[in-house]
Amino acid sequence: MRMPATSSSRSYYRSRRARKRIANIVIAIVLIGLGIISLAPFWWMLSTSLKSMQEIMSFPPTKYPHAIIWSNYEHAWVSGRLSRYALNTLFLSCVGVFAHVLSNTFIAYGFAKIKFPGKNFLFSLMLATMMIPGFCTLIPQYILFSKLHWVGTYLPLTIPGFFGSAFQIFMLRQFYLGIPNDLIEAAKIDGANHFYIWSRIMVPLAKPAVIVIAIMTFQGAWNDFLGPLLYVNKESMFNIQIGLTAFRSAELTQWNYLMAASLIALAPVILLFFFFQRYFIEGMNISSGTKG
Amino acid sequence: MKKVNKAAIASLVLTLTTGVLLTGCGNNGDKNAAASHAPEDNNAPKEKVVLDFWTFWGSETRRPLIEKIIDDFNKAHEGKIEVKHSYYPYGDIWTKALAQTAAGNPPDVIVNSIEEAGLRAAKKQNTNLAEFLAKDPDVKDRFREDLWNTVLYKDDPYALPFTTDTRMMFYNKTAFKEAGLDPDKFPATWDELEQVAMKLDKKDAKGKYTQIGYAPQFAGFDAKSIAVNFDGGNGWLDDNGKANISTPNKIEGFNYVQRYTDRLGQKTIDEFKAAFGSKEANPFIAGKVAIWPDAVTFATQIRDFGKGMDVGIAPIPETKPGAGHWSAGGGFVVEIPAGAKHPAESWEFIKYLTDTAAQTYWAKMNYDNVANVQASNDPELIKDPIYKASVDNLTNTRVYPRPAAAADLFKMLDPQVDAILQKKVTPQEGLDQAQKDISDLIAQNGG
Amino acid sequence: MSLERKDALWGYVFVLPWIVGFLVFTFGPLLFSLYASFTNYDITSQMDWVGIRNYRNMFTHDSLFWKSLHNTLYYVLFNVPLTTFAALLLAVTMNQKIPGMRIFRTVFYLPSVLAGVAVFYLWMMLLNPSTGLVNMALGWVGIDGPAWMTDPNWTKPAVILMKLWGAGGGMLLYLAALQGVPEHLYEAAELDGASPIRRFWHVTVPMITPVIFFELVTNLIGAFQIFQEGYVMVQDQSTPGSPMNSLLFFNLHMFLKAFQSFQMGYATAMAWFLFIVVIVLTLINMALSKLWVHYEGGDNR
Repeated sequence: MRMPATSSSRSYYRSRRARKRIANIVIAIVLIGLGIISLAPFWWMLSTSLKSMQEIMSFPPTKYPHAIIWSNYEHAWVSGRLSRYALNTLFLSCVGVFAHVLSNTFIAYGFAKIKFPGKNFLFSLMLATMMIPGFCTLIPQYILFSKLHWVGTYLPLTIPGFFGSAFQIFMLRQFYLGIPNDLIEAAKIDGANHFYIWSRIMVPLAKPAVIVIAIMTFQGAWNDFLGPLLYVNKESMFNIQIGLTAFRSAELTQWNYLMAASLIALAPVILLFFFFQRYFIEGMNISSGTKG
Repeated sequence: MKKVNKAAIASLVLTLTTGVLLTGCGNNGDKNAAASHAPEDNNAPKEKVVLDFWTFWGSETRRPLIEKIIDDFNKAHEGKIEVKHSYYPYGDIWTKALAQTAAGNPPDVIVNSIEEAGLRAAKKQNTNLAEFLAKDPDVKDRFREDLWNTVLYKDDPYALPFTTDTRMMFYNKTAFKEAGLDPDKFPATWDELEQVAMKLDKKDAKGKYTQIGYAPQFAGFDAKSIAVNFDGGNGWLDDNGKANISTPNKIEGFNYVQRYTDRLGQKTIDEFKAAFGSKEANPFIAGKVAIWPDAVTFATQIRDFGKGMDVGIAPIPETKPGAGHWSAGGGFVVEIPAGAKHPAESWEFIKYLTDTAAQTYWAKMNYDNVANVQASNDPELIKDPIYKASVDNLTNTRVYPRPAAAADLFKMLDPQVDAILQKKVTPQEGLDQAQKDISDLIAQNGG
Repeated sequence: MSLERKDALWGYVFVLPWIVGFLVFTFGPLLFSLYASFTNYDITSQMDWVGIRNYRNMFTHDSLFWKSLHNTLYYVLFNVPLTTFAALLLAVTMNQKIPGMRIFRTVFYLPSVLAGVAVFYLWMMLLNPSTGLVNMALGWVGIDGPAWMTDPNWTKPAVILMKLWGAGGGMLLYLAALQGVPEHLYEAAELDGASPIRRFWHVTVPMITPVIFFELVTNLIGAFQIFQEGYVMVQDQSTPGSPMNSLLFFNLHMFLKAFQSFQMGYATAMAWFLFIVVIVLTLINMALSKLWVHYEGGDNR
């Protein structure tokens, strides 16, 4: 915020500040209320994860664990073989993030900022691919990967990421479109080629969106179930979502371990979001000069 | 500020790349190992054959049992056959198997549902076992005839039955005594059952039910199963695979169920149902319902959570003496998916899985009804009266296969059943509609 | 002239990875499924040409086709506007500078992170009519909650409610876009005496229309793909879509046809039908977008 220049506007800003404070308090109260609703199911998860099976099955259900059993977490971790599965999942997620950020920022630039014949057709075609239900192409795709001798490796889960995903290309294109063309024209006059403009101007400017797709990709790969299930043939290569299913079974679902393991599985994604979200607001801090 | 961010991102990228490289190398190692292993299998048939065996038994209770059974097999076939167990989640295991079968690299042996064994055979998803059976003809005699029939397609076997189950009536003997009934005599017919059930109902001062003797709406042996029982154990399809739904006897079965709805009131039933849980909260164990039909494995829940309960077990009633105490069952088979590489060795393994030793062990540890007749009549097991009752009940139990032409049968039938139970249509109307829909379905599929 | 051609060449270079990926991983399977829709393909034993039989059966012989289409349309009609708007509202609120906002953002984002079957089981516990948290909370304000997952009239609203809980996922992109709205625009509007609601409609919304458009299009496509909820959130696992097929969504019906009845040919025909419906809706959406979506870059479309 720039310093007010005259005394009359100074008093205006002072009253504005007071109103803003009241508004903030109202907003905070609403947020706390909504936050409780948002978190309530997690309380249920957490409390279930700390109960004994006996207590989970009791009727009526208890609202908090009467006897807290922390060892449920250890048990879920060890018997669920989560350390192996977590490493596998981390690997898949990291490759996924790298592949998607690289390919999608690149491809989206072509769709957003360069004119070439057939662009609209290709773009519509790309949007159309988003509408195909996955399991219709599941079998032919499986046969394809099988012919490539990729089944049983992580290749079917990682390589396609390097060729872009329609959803994220669309998203980044929308974001790029909001960036003024003048910047590109100016760079062109300075003799920059498109590769330079993409890597030095567009990607840095689209940083908030890039972080968003990084988080989304990480989360998507972290939570993927069907992909690893279909293409992995060894338990030592399972990911965490397949690992979780072992706690569910027809005869007895071990709710406490399932919930404990689910919470463990959630943690990395939550932490990632918590620490990376500041990149969304960074730009604003620079333009407004006020700090929250 | 900016610099710090860049450094953070750079370091993140670096960490990720390093991780990628490290783990990537590890995987390459795995891949090479697998690649060098494969040709051995093909070039030197005398070498040890490794079989990939898929189950959905991944829980802490079941996994050790199946792995113990596999270990015993591996020890006996040291140097010749080695079975490796792979767990995949229930339901998804078959989607994966189907994809792999389509691509020509299925697992060697898989556990699958018994009702659709013939359907899978018709779709060429599993291997014809006739040539192996010709060499071991007595394998057939291990199984009850009707169970064996479920794995036949055009007279050839395509799987071996592994487990089965059956439904019976559990009843609370203490409640029987309190109501002045003979705790050792369970009603034999449905009409008698209704009389007994009324005596077991309890209401409080306001006329609200606190205990219900019996209601068919409470799972276990549902309205559909009752209708089949009323129809002499004839299922929803006749022997020629035609729809057999709107029969007078089945309509009578639904009328019987509706008598309970009318007497107890839909609201009472819904309220009871809403409070149901499992384990201690199971309404039978909690003493809210006195007669409870269920699969016989329910006995383990009574054992674990119903300490001190005096429980009796009896066959499902019949419509009139001699009509038959028809019960319904299901189960699982072991089979060799079509295109599997080592059918001869796999046959050895599934033969072993359904043989007396492995089946007795499985029955003892899981309290399951196993398919092998000798194992299920194991003298030690039979000492348990409930287990014995379940084995005896198997003769009244039918497994209803689902043929290809009517694969969607229950998707058409279930909504009509729901509508009947909620009294939106009469049994006659609902079943007539289902008869029409399913006949149409079968005609469409060329059945 | 030559500059334009050089530019076009660059354009192809940039989209080349997608074209290659499309041709290798998608186009083949896509053609395959189109062909399969005119056959009696069952994955393992047959693939004979049957002409338009699958399409004809779909419209004239399969009552569940219409039922499932109805269920999906019902869900789309409520889910898309609700989640799109809720996410936007949440993002605008989350864009305030209030102490502890980072925690709030995480809290609202949290539900969308939770994935897999565990979340469905969790909600089935929460929606239990007598012991669940939802009806307990409704009880506090004097409402007698319905039997959510067992009453066919309430199953779809229950699923829509559950999805609304996860709407925070859509907030991410809005937040990223909101940071691009220059602060001076707000200040100018405030000096003109515009109320917060007017500022929202006249400053915020126009500036982020590209993202709203994106969310609308992808939410619509996503909502049409719903199926797992109907598969997992049932009382009896052996009857997916129950009670009374009220949760038999289009894609669930398709999935069961493909993998339980092995009528893959029929299932692909259903997929192509839905595919065309969604394409038409998206094209309409894109045509309408010219009226309200505003791009700072000055590029059209």
